[in-house]
Amino acid sequence: MHDTTSKDMLTDLGRRLVVGSLSDAALQEATERTPNFAILPWVNVVKIGGQSIMDRGAPAVRPVVDEIVANLKRHKMILGTGAGTRARHVYSLAIDLGLPTGVLTVLGTAVAWQNAQLLQYLLAQHGIAFIEPEGFASLPHYLMERGAVICQGMPPYKLWEHNPSVGRIPPERTDTGCFLIAEVFGARKMIYVKDEDGLYTADPKKDPEAVHIPRISVQELLARDLDDLVVERAVLELMLKARNIHEIQFVNGLKPGELTAALDGAPVGTVIYDAAYASAAQGDAA
Amino acid sequence: MNDVHAGAQHVVSRLMRESLMDKALIAGTESPVRAILPNLNVIQIGGLSIMDRGHTALMPLLDEIVANQGEHTQVVGVGPGVRARHMLSVGLDLGLPTGALATLAAKSAAQNAYMVSCLLAAHGFVYLEAPFIVQLLPAMLAAARGAVFNGIPPYDLWEHPPALGKIPPHGSDAGSYLVAEAFGARSVILLKDVDGLYTADPKADPDAAFIPAIGAAELIAMRLPTLPIEPVVLELLTRTKLVRGIRIVNGLVPGNLTRALAGDKVGTMIHA
Repeated sequence: MHDTTSKDMLTDLGRRLVVGSLSDAALQEATERTPNFAILPWVNVVKIGGQSIMDRGAPAVRPVVDEIVANLKRHKMILGTGAGTRARHVYSLAIDLGLPTGVLTVLGTAVAWQNAQLLQYLLAQHGIAFIEPEGFASLPHYLMERGAVICQGMPPYKLWEHNPSVGRIPPERTDTGCFLIAEVFGARKMIYVKDEDGLYTADPKKDPEAVHIPRISVQELLARDLDDLVVERAVLELMLKARNIHEIQFVNGLKPGELTAALDGAPVGTVIYDAAYASAAQGDAA
Repeated sequence: MNDVHAGAQHVVSRLMRESLMDKALIAGTESPVRAILPNLNVIQIGGLSIMDRGHTALMPLLDEIVANQGEHTQVVGVGPGVRARHMLSVGLDLGLPTGALATLAAKSAAQNAYMVSCLLAAHGFVYLEAPFIVQLLPAMLAAARGAVFNGIPPYDLWEHPPALGKIPPHGSDAGSYLVAEAFGARSVILLKDVDGLYTADPKADPDAAFIPAIGAAELIAMRLPTLPIEPVVLELLTRTKLVRGIRIVNGLVPGNLTRALAGDKVGTMIHA
C-alpha cells in the first residue's frame, strides 16, 4: 500500500500522532498546547433533579417549568433530567438479582428518560423538543429556534459504564452526564436544580446543625472527604481535568427565582469552583 | 420545612430517600455479580497493529477466529488505527474538545469493524452497533456464529477529558474490556503486533525484559513511559468484578489466538 499519510499534509503534532503511542506522556502533553474552541459558548446546561424535583410531582415541577418558560427568550438552555426513586428501586432489585453495573446503567437511563419525557410533555406547547444522544448534532438548531432542548441526563455509556471502586451503583449518573455535556460544548454555565440551597457541612435533611456553604473549591471539597455529597463524586474528579467548565452551581428549585438568578449570574445556592483556574483568573486581572 | 421529602412520591426500595453519594450506602451495595454470558470470549483486533497492515496480517487471523468459533464463542472488537490518528490531528488543530474527538475517532473504528464483519459474513458473523450489543448480542450468538463490534465504547460527546492533554482516554482496549466485564466473559484477548509487555520498548532498548504475567496495580506502580495497552484499562482492572485478566498476544504469529483461547500462557497476562 502506498503511504496514505503524506507527511507534508500533517502538522508537527499530527506526524507524532500518526506514528507514536497515544499513551506516551510527552505526546499527551503536546496535545495540551492546542487551542480550545468552544462549540456552544452561550448555552447553559440545567439539570433538573430526579428525586429532588421530578419525583415531587406538580407542586415542585410546575413552578420550575414556569421559570424555564419565563427564561426561554433570555437564556439558551439544555435541560437534562435526573432519575430518582424509580432508579433506586430498579438498582436495588437488579443488585439483588446479581446483575452488573453496566446493566444497572441501562436500567437507570430508562428512568432519566421517563423524567425527560415528562418534562417534554409539559414544555411541548412552547416548541421544546426532546433529543436522544444520537440526535445531538441537531441540538444547535433547536436552541437557536426555541431557546431550549430536553435530554435525559445519563451519559450514554450503557453496558460500557465503569465499575465503581466500591459497590455496584453506576458511578457516572445524571450529574456527570450533564456536566460532560457542558464541558464538551464549552457551555456558559452548569446549573444543578435540586431541593436544597446547595452544599452543607452535613445532610440538612438529617442534621439541624448543618451549615450552608455558599462557595467552595473542588480541591477543598475533595480534601474534606465527606461521607455524603450534594453531587456525584465523578463530577468533582472530572472538574479537576475539565478544560472548559471550572465552576458549577447548585440552586434550590423549590424556591421560585433561584434558577433565574443563577442564569443571570447571581451567586445563589452553592458554587463549587476549580481553584487552579480561580487563581489564574485573579492573576490575569492583577 | 419539617420534612423536606414530604412532597416527594417514593417507590419503596432499600435505596429509597437515601443519597446515592453516601459512602455507607454505596458500601452496602457490594454483593456477588452474575455472569450473563460466561462462555463468551472477547477478542480485539488492533487498528494500527493489525488492521492497517491489510490482507497479509488480517486474513490469517480471521481464518484462525473462524477455526476456533466452533469450540469458543468469540465476539470481535476492532480498533481504529491510523485514520483515527489523522482525525485527532485535524480535530486538535481546530481546537475541538475531547468529546468531539472521541465521537470522530469512533467512526474510524466502526469502519474497521464493518470491514471485518464483511470478511466474516460468510461464516455467520454480524456487525452490531452499541444499541444492538445491549439488546441483541445473546440472540445473535445463538442464531449466528459470532459478532463484530466497534472496539471504542459509545462515550462520544460524553467522553471524559483526560488528566493530561486532550486525547480520548477510552479507546478500543477499554471498550473491549468493558463489554467483557458487563457480560462476565470467560476471556479478553487483545491481538496486537508485539509479543506482549516489556520493561522498555524492545525496538529501542536491547535490555528490555519480557513480562509474561503481572497484576494491574503492580503495572500501574511501575510507571512505564509507554504501554501496549490503554492506561485506563489498568485502572478499570483494579475494580473488576468478573473479568480476571486481559491477555495481550501477537496477532501476527499464527496459532497465538488458538493457544490463548485454549488457556495457554502465551503473550502477557495482566491480571486483576
